[in-house]
Amino acid sequence: MITERHEELAALHALGLLEDAERSAFDSEMARHPAVRTLADSLAESTAALALTAPQVEPPAGLRDRILAQADASATGRVTAFPLLRFAPWAMAAALAVAATWLATQNLALRNENAALQTERQLAEVAYKMAQNQLSERSLLAENMITDLGNRLRRSEDLSRLKISALASLAGNTKEAQVIAVWDPGQQAGLLTMEKLPAIADTQDYQIWIVDPAYKDPVNGGVFHVAADGKVTLAFKPDQPIAQAAAFAISLEKKGGVPKAEGPIVLLGK
Amino acid sequence: MLLASPCPLTWFEVTPDRRGPGPRIRMTGEATNPGGGDERSREHAVLLTAMAQGDKAALARLYDLLAKPLYSLAFRVLNDAGEAQDVVQDVFLQMWHKAGAYDTSRGSVFAWAATLTRNRAIDRVRMRKRRAELLAESAPDLQPAAVGNDTDSAGSLWLREKAGAVRSALTALAPDQQKAIELAFFSGLTQQEIAARLNEPLGTIKARIRRGLLKLREILPARL
Repeated sequence: MITERHEELAALHALGLLEDAERSAFDSEMARHPAVRTLADSLAESTAALALTAPQVEPPAGLRDRILAQADASATGRVTAFPLLRFAPWAMAAALAVAATWLATQNLALRNENAALQTERQLAEVAYKMAQNQLSERSLLAENMITDLGNRLRRSEDLSRLKISALASLAGNTKEAQVIAVWDPGQQAGLLTMEKLPAIADTQDYQIWIVDPAYKDPVNGGVFHVAADGKVTLAFKPDQPIAQAAAFAISLEKKGGVPKAEGPIVLLGK
Repeated sequence: MLLASPCPLTWFEVTPDRRGPGPRIRMTGEATNPGGGDERSREHAVLLTAMAQGDKAALARLYDLLAKPLYSLAFRVLNDAGEAQDVVQDVFLQMWHKAGAYDTSRGSVFAWAATLTRNRAIDRVRMRKRRAELLAESAPDLQPAAVGNDTDSAGSLWLREKAGAVRSALTALAPDQQKAIELAFFSGLTQQEIAARLNEPLGTIKARIRRGLLKLREILPARL
């Protein structure tokens, strides 16, 4: 089917106005569609008729003779060329022999080139595998490094969660005592390290208390008895869950401790 | 009217990268052939066949029939008598050498020769480095054209009839269509250059050329 676009291209083609790419595309179109070619041919024919509209000018007198003389020369060329046809089979055979030789040479060269390319490809494959292995090793190393960093980070985070308090003396006989309380809210457990804590009677115990605003009274953390040198390191765990360890206290209670602080608070730290 | 007031040569420009369609001209039928469809056109074909067999007299006869319109076309495009002669010589020698390969059933001999001449002339125009000179020169039809002896031969009569038919057909086109087609045919301007020269959008120029050539095709068979 002829479209307006076909007509336009055919008209431009007839006048030589198509660009190279357009002309190639239109040539293909004409090859596919005979109707398009017919259209283009008819427009080309009409276009050629425009030549007749040029103002008529008589060609120079000598032009005819020149052309005929040139034609003569080329016609002579034709005559001298004719006997060569007898040698055409031999020439063709010779050409084929040369072509066969050339092809054989090319074949050999291509084979060599192919072998070289195969070797090159194998080397490239080895290099690729090596690179792949190196990459795997580096990947594993990087993974370990990341894991290690993660562990360190987690440890740092754990440490940052810990609450550390130094307990101050509230009684006259514990002035020299040095007590540090470390509380881990995640574990709901703590650690006390004490030095120079005064020794107490066998009928008494020190009792640990954790002050949590969530409870009306301090929460019991357990009892302990101090040795003669006054050094104690002990872990403690409260009776009830601690939401916020606001302070730690140590009181002096009767042996075995009490549910609610009764005795004097000897040490306190926030 | 195209020929009554031909475009001045100031419209002409050199376009270095365009070529017209190749010399292969197909025919859709003799009715659409402005140079064919009659006894003269058939004579052209017979002469070409004889040329293919080395008949130099046929070449001479074809020259007598076609040299003037082809030379006029070359001169119209080139505006140079020497170059126009060279073009015509090249064209006839090409026809002499290629006559055997040319299938006359695929197009008129005149269309083939005219297309060869136009393409060669435009190629030469492009090769020139004298665009400014060309633009400054006067139009070919304003040159003191050496109008030849048209009064004698049947060939000249045939040419006059054909040329008259084509001119008449051209007058049926809108003036803007005539102008665009004339610029494209004789100057070798590109589509864009024609649009710029006529100060019109490119799409308008394409449409004018399309409509103009289609109309020309419709009219010519009826007039020839």
